[in-house]
Amino acid sequence: MTNILTQNDIQHVDYKDIDLLKQFINPHGRVMSRKRTGLTAKQQRAVEAAVKRARFMGLLPYIQK
Amino acid sequence: MVEAVAEKTQTDASEEGFSRVYEIGYHIIPTVAEDKLEKIVGDIRSQIEKAGGSFIAEGAPSLMRLSYEMTAREGDKNVVHDRGYFGWIKFEANPEAAVLLDNALRDHTSILRHIVFKTVREDTRAKMKAPTLREVKRTDTIKTTPRREEEVSAPVSEADLDKALEDLTTE
Repeated sequence: MTNILTQNDIQHVDYKDIDLLKQFINPHGRVMSRKRTGLTAKQQRAVEAAVKRARFMGLLPYIQK
Repeated sequence: MVEAVAEKTQTDASEEGFSRVYEIGYHIIPTVAEDKLEKIVGDIRSQIEKAGGSFIAEGAPSLMRLSYEMTAREGDKNVVHDRGYFGWIKFEANPEAAVLLDNALRDHTSILRHIVFKTVREDTRAKMKAPTLREVKRTDTIKTTPRREEEVSAPVSEADLDKALEDLTTE
């Protein structure tokens, strides 16, 4: 369980960084739990917000079969 | 999300001349000709300028495949799109300007979808390299290739070849 954001010194999570966000979603397109992501609560909230923005803009899927 | 922006505007309405950093992301419908994209982006930029905003950063629209199909109203019918020209603009403006811009983008016929949200002035794009799924150690494969070359013997004359063939066939 490694914290990708801390490891790479990422302060802000941008909804346009799809490759980064894809590391926090499972094959069905759901956001992984904090247990799996290893993020802090603040980071997890930032990732969730970014994923939701990316989904709304069609950059990430809501569901993936 | 837009509602959140509007809500914030109401609470900050008392503060005059207060400005925040916002970002807008937009998808332009793919049926628009590429040379007309600049005009549409110019429309958005002029809206921001008119509202007294100042630009911080911008991403030019580029055609991309959408993760799911989106419906846009064109005339009196719905048209489904699976691609869009995605672009973004980061700017600083007062909250009222953000709401005005949001409404303007909603009414724009060439814009498939848009988002307006608060952000920070700093560059928010992650500067990490794309993760590699498999890290292949190529040194091993390179080492094996010269061995095959070593196996190749000196040039053989045609007479020797014929003799060897004859031996094989007689056996």
